[in-house]
Amino acid sequence: MRTRLLLRGCIVGLGIIAAVATGAPSDVIEGPLLRPAASSSDPRDLSGVWFIRLYNRQINSTLGRLPPFTAHGKAEWDKRVKAEKDGSPIADASAYCWPHGVPRVMNSPYPIQIIQTRGKTTIVHEVAHNIRHIYMDQPHPADLAPSFMGDSVGHWEGDTLVVDTIGLNDRTWIDEVGVIHGKQLHVVEHIRKIEDGHALENLVRIEDPEFFTEPWYARITYAWRPDLRLAEYVCEENNRNMPVAGHTVAK
Amino acid sequence: MKLPVVLAVLVSSVAQAQAIYDPPPGRNFQGVWLIQGDHTTVKTIEGKLPPMTRAAAARYKARNPASDTIQTCKPHGFPRILFAAYPMEILQEPQQVTFIHEVHHMPRMVYLDLVLPKLEDMDPNWMGQSAGRWDGNTLVVDSQGFNDVTTLDAAGLPHSSEMRVMERIRKLDADTLEDVLTIDDPKTYTRSWSTRVTYKRQPGLRLKEYVCTDSNPEAAKGASPPRKPGA
Repeated sequence: MRTRLLLRGCIVGLGIIAAVATGAPSDVIEGPLLRPAASSSDPRDLSGVWFIRLYNRQINSTLGRLPPFTAHGKAEWDKRVKAEKDGSPIADASAYCWPHGVPRVMNSPYPIQIIQTRGKTTIVHEVAHNIRHIYMDQPHPADLAPSFMGDSVGHWEGDTLVVDTIGLNDRTWIDEVGVIHGKQLHVVEHIRKIEDGHALENLVRIEDPEFFTEPWYARITYAWRPDLRLAEYVCEENNRNMPVAGHTVAK
Repeated sequence: MKLPVVLAVLVSSVAQAQAIYDPPPGRNFQGVWLIQGDHTTVKTIEGKLPPMTRAAAARYKARNPASDTIQTCKPHGFPRILFAAYPMEILQEPQQVTFIHEVHHMPRMVYLDLVLPKLEDMDPNWMGQSAGRWDGNTLVVDSQGFNDVTTLDAAGLPHSSEMRVMERIRKLDADTLEDVLTIDDPKTYTRSWSTRVTYKRQPGLRLKEYVCTDSNPEAAKGASPPRKPGA
């Protein structure tokens, strides 16, 4: 027991030294490490568990303000903000145990695991067991039925993984407050390692002429979490919004 | 002008190659697989009903199909999800084998560096915890930590929260995967018993989006049709 504690102390100590030396984020790692204290030195090796930093239920643009709404986008935002203020919030997809959609699922306060295999990058999300299948170096299929998670293809630009997503339905939101979207939504993510492998940056380009006057960017970062394994998250276990006779009824 | 471009492409493809793990051919289970045969009623390898205790047999006889938990979109649980008539995808990393089931888009992580905690230290859940190791070209997976809400098959074979499942997964040929499961659950079965399931490789098949909680006709048209009723 004492040896284990000592070893654990050393690992935490090394982590702190490494963090100080590299100016890495001070995300506190507790417990034994399952993976190295920083992700591998290969800039294209994104595999492992990551956890969002500075989670905010509202997505701001990189300019630090609300997205450039069209009149329609602004009206939908106002409606949702008001409903929540009035104590009767409008439910988003996750409240129905539906998949969170893209890019919403990338802005969730739960860990994600990136798995890279030949021809494919897969992201397993703890929240509501969402799965993202990103097919590498391929075009989108021609006839896409709209879906919650859309169709994602990826390629490398230098050491940045670029993920292009279309084919999304209009039933998910972009954030948890009231930025929503339509079926024209086109999401391009630029994902790369930063801070010597201690963190991941996702620069998300969001385009939907129905809701926004111009494309805008959001920036989300994630901490490398070598101490975590994804836990089981079953939204359906306590689903209070089950479909009844073909309609989803909020109870 | 052209040479730097070629060099850049070369350098970038080398960098990419480093990040991708290729399992040895005999241990390479990667890809999308589909179950063979009908496993709605799971039988032992001898083709018999598993040897239930008297109490379990009574529970099995009195079962009500309407109370099947998947009717309310609860997870199939493990190992029932292995018998579902939906494709599953296997992803391999040096320390982890990940199964992604199309049905309920449910993942199962098999950790090759995990020592299973003692049963009393686990929080029981739907998929349990899985620790794997390689025995030659056979992946041996030990799983425990299940709740007692799920059944082993669509017909309602019961199990307790003390169930332990040992799997031996191997390729019979390049396109056939075999999983021999041994169920050990003294509270439900008079002895441990085994069942066998095989899967065929599905080249080019991609997992579709399956959303049980969604009854939207648009999705039913293309995005999440059940492959087979009653699975």
